[in-house]
Amino acid sequence: MAHIKVKRRGMSADEWNMLRFGWLKRYIYAEKFEIENIKIRDARQISEMQYDFYPDGWRKLKKGDIYFTPDGTAFIEADLIIPEKFRNKKIWFTLKTAAEIIVKCNGKYVGGVDPNRERILLSPYIGNETALHFEMEGYNRSKPDDERNPESLSVRGCRQVFEGAYIATVNENLQSLVYDLELLLDINQSESFDEDYRHFLTKEINNLLNFIDFDDLCDEDVIRASEYLNDVIYANKSYKGNGKVSLIGHSHLDIAYYWRRVHSVQKNLRTVLIQMRLMDRYSDFKYTHSQPFTYETLEKYYPDVFEELKGKIASGQFEPVGAMYVEPDCNIPSAESLIRQCLYGQLYYRKKFGKTVDNAWLPDVFGNSWILPQILKKSGVKYFVSNKMSTWNDTNRFPHNNFIWRGIDKSEVYACVPPTHFITWNYPSQIQENWEAFQEKNSADSTMQMFGYGDGGSGVTEEMIELMHRFEKVSAMPQTEHVTAAEYLRKNFDGNEKLEVWDGELYLEMHRGTFTTKSEIKRYNRMLEFKIREAEIVSTLRHLKGADYPYDELREIYKKLLINQFHDILPGSHINPVYKDAMADYTDIDERLDKILGHGEKYFNSLNFKRNHLAFIPDEENGHSIRKEEKGNWVIPNLGPLSSGEIPWKTFAGSWCEIADCVTTPFYKIKFNDDASIESIYDLELDREWTAGEFNKLKLYRDFPGVYDAWDISANYKEKEVEYKVISPLKTIENNSEVASFEAIIATEKSKWKRIVRVFRQSRGIEVENIVDWHEKHVLAKAQFDCNILTRDAVCDTSAGFIERPTRKNNPWQKARFEMCHHKWFDLSETDAGIAVINESKYGVSFDSNSAGLSLLRSSERPDCESDMGHHVFSYLIYPHKGDFIKAEINNIAYEYNIPLRKADLSCENSFGELFMQTMKISEDKKMIVVRLSEQNGRRGKIKLAGKVKVLNLLEDIIDETETIEYSPFEIITIGINVQ
Amino acid sequence: MERYVREVLQPKLQADGGWVEYVSFEFNTLKLIFRGECSKCLILDRCIEWIKSEVKRDMGFDIDVESERKKPYFWDK
Repeated sequence: MAHIKVKRRGMSADEWNMLRFGWLKRYIYAEKFEIENIKIRDARQISEMQYDFYPDGWRKLKKGDIYFTPDGTAFIEADLIIPEKFRNKKIWFTLKTAAEIIVKCNGKYVGGVDPNRERILLSPYIGNETALHFEMEGYNRSKPDDERNPESLSVRGCRQVFEGAYIATVNENLQSLVYDLELLLDINQSESFDEDYRHFLTKEINNLLNFIDFDDLCDEDVIRASEYLNDVIYANKSYKGNGKVSLIGHSHLDIAYYWRRVHSVQKNLRTVLIQMRLMDRYSDFKYTHSQPFTYETLEKYYPDVFEELKGKIASGQFEPVGAMYVEPDCNIPSAESLIRQCLYGQLYYRKKFGKTVDNAWLPDVFGNSWILPQILKKSGVKYFVSNKMSTWNDTNRFPHNNFIWRGIDKSEVYACVPPTHFITWNYPSQIQENWEAFQEKNSADSTMQMFGYGDGGSGVTEEMIELMHRFEKVSAMPQTEHVTAAEYLRKNFDGNEKLEVWDGELYLEMHRGTFTTKSEIKRYNRMLEFKIREAEIVSTLRHLKGADYPYDELREIYKKLLINQFHDILPGSHINPVYKDAMADYTDIDERLDKILGHGEKYFNSLNFKRNHLAFIPDEENGHSIRKEEKGNWVIPNLGPLSSGEIPWKTFAGSWCEIADCVTTPFYKIKFNDDASIESIYDLELDREWTAGEFNKLKLYRDFPGVYDAWDISANYKEKEVEYKVISPLKTIENNSEVASFEAIIATEKSKWKRIVRVFRQSRGIEVENIVDWHEKHVLAKAQFDCNILTRDAVCDTSAGFIERPTRKNNPWQKARFEMCHHKWFDLSETDAGIAVINESKYGVSFDSNSAGLSLLRSSERPDCESDMGHHVFSYLIYPHKGDFIKAEINNIAYEYNIPLRKADLSCENSFGELFMQTMKISEDKKMIVVRLSEQNGRRGKIKLAGKVKVLNLLEDIIDETETIEYSPFEIITIGINVQ
Repeated sequence: MERYVREVLQPKLQADGGWVEYVSFEFNTLKLIFRGECSKCLILDRCIEWIKSEVKRDMGFDIDVESERKKPYFWDK
């Protein structure tokens, strides 16, 4: 029998309730008076506090006019004499807008309006003044894909209709009833709540609304309805909610994303202002704000507001969180960068607010490296907070919300991954869903819930606080408490012995494309991370000889680098102007570091181990080879640790490379294909074949990950490849005494890719240089390496130790990790030999059995239509080796490959044995030489020193003294030596 | 006109997540392609009016604008 689904066509009881709720909201304002004397001036923001004004000057602004321009800031001024009938009343300023507007009245910052809030209470800030002068600064760059506030969706766009500005009084009884109904209607519509209670609400909300005569609404009706609400609905305690949810007011602020960094200064100001004005009204309201950088900009550009903020912080209402300078990406930055995020963040908090923040606040970052727990712990951080894995994983449910995170070195921090998104608006349904999803119900007091609009800031609204004040009246809801982050973390973690341990990286099963998107940003970041390391070492050694140390310059440069590691800049998930800003910053950093590094006669080895692997030394006059469009020579430097010397280039007279069907070197017999892929690498020394299929094969995959285009790689990307043609088959372009080079050019319809493969007389390395004109769309380029190796684990560099990752796909967890982040190298090895691939700035890698795929380029379209388009030059080094990756010194080779030799006539006696010297600098208090050593090979040992040194944490606090450095696997050790 | 679109208009639209590209300018008609956020903007017509007024102010003459939206595949429903 055919079944016909009956669709109800009449209005349901719930729909009738919602309809009348909408009518009720129309009466919130008791009286409104339009401000008519308004003028506007358009501008474009060109730096943090500079504006390029349109030539039109001021013009009148009337209701119905179009206002705001693309990338525009509008300055609006208005004047008003408060009408007699409004005087001695609680008056509000109202302006319904899609823009984000900071409002000053009579010289005082009174708050902000935006798509999430349309009114500001004026009375407390204007005293008895009757003449009001408004100054407003607005911009129209709300996040365009933010669908969290449906009401703001309909008003997107650069050109808006001005709906008028008013002063108004509010019908407070009715407003209160509106909040009550908002709360109850959300429960009524949420399937997370008890069905019987929802039916009860349907019936009783209807009864309540029946008290209101919408044709002749009067306060008496509202009071009677409110009494009914208390006596019947709130009084019903028959329905019991479960659990406990801790509510933390917060606003996520991307310092660059769909807006440039310069705009985040005012986004932050507006956010801070709105929260402080709410604190003025609600003494119990607390708000949590992250990123020392945002406090720093407020202090610099709005010192008066900053002074007021300090008072709110001192009173405990405004809580600074997040030890890191910005909320950085936590996959790609090196260990030292992550340390500096903590160092400069914490030093700022200490200096300005007298506190060391004990949490890392990273709600939105795209996965977290295994090296983080140690760095956080040694930077004064006990608690790690990040929401992403619980709400964004695409395959597996991360098994904890509150747990202990054990790092690569066994350091542990408490970790909180709240069950729901970091942007919520404090609705009962969201609170209920959080409790239901919370996995530590038996081992924690409560679950963490952040509330407040965010991404572009703004945060908590009056409505969210008003709802919060009503939660205890609803017995069907979980118990709630409004707390600071510190209160929640201490209560739920300290001494909690029931917490389980997660020992491993915190891999996000999403946003896997961010290891590769915007390859130029990644290239610069890697290069400058090493260059600033050298600048500090060189400056320190020169300082010991009497030169001034460029404290402020180095700190300023470092901070600029750290800002660009923000989690929507370095990962590549931003609009085109953000990319241009980053490139301008990198150029500036590069030039300033060149000035600091200066010149010398001899080459300086900044590494604390002997440089004995082949390097390319640029030499425009006497260079015999060309690499990356630069002349130079391939030489083994033979430079001792932290020393300088000459590197002579000698011509090798004999023959070492035979080029026929195969290319025979002292190490290999290699058979190339026309496209520069390699059919065979027969190792003459080890008597074995290294390839087993496609090796060094360029693969171009169709990649359609959806709306998160720049962020994601689709799981099925290998299903369809883009065909390319070899337009110039492999040919010999160089065969001199040190190197033989072979070039092939391939092309698609849109792109051209030159591949130069180099083999060497004195190195087992095989270098592949890529010169690319890239104009694809939605294509992922990878270099494929099918290796003749039996292994179930790949080893990957983390920048401070290695991590082993399964190459098998036995279970959903392994399958979900189809693209991972690594640093300078990965290695596939058997017991006595293996292949490493060392890169200069390519972070994405995939493994499948004996195959590896190094991600080279992407071509996403959102948020930047031209992402990664254009010219690229990059290289990688294939390094077959005997022994394992440690015996083969792969990590050292990778450092040598990434750190070009520079000239500086300096040396240092100490080299600190087997640990990698990550940093040498002068301490922030200018009293010590700080040396940071990193164990990267998983070993344990001791280094006996010539005398006593201070043992420091990563904040450069002295915690001990020692004459012997005792180290354990993957440990990061910082010592301080008094500057004489 | 091409340079004006590239150097004056495009950076402004890009900063709001949009994208505009010059196609041609013939018989006083400027043909433009809108991509990115502009490709799905509900009020693009207002932006086009603004472009006309900007050209009028900066270059001193009236133009017509013909626009084409090019949505990325994930919005092309």
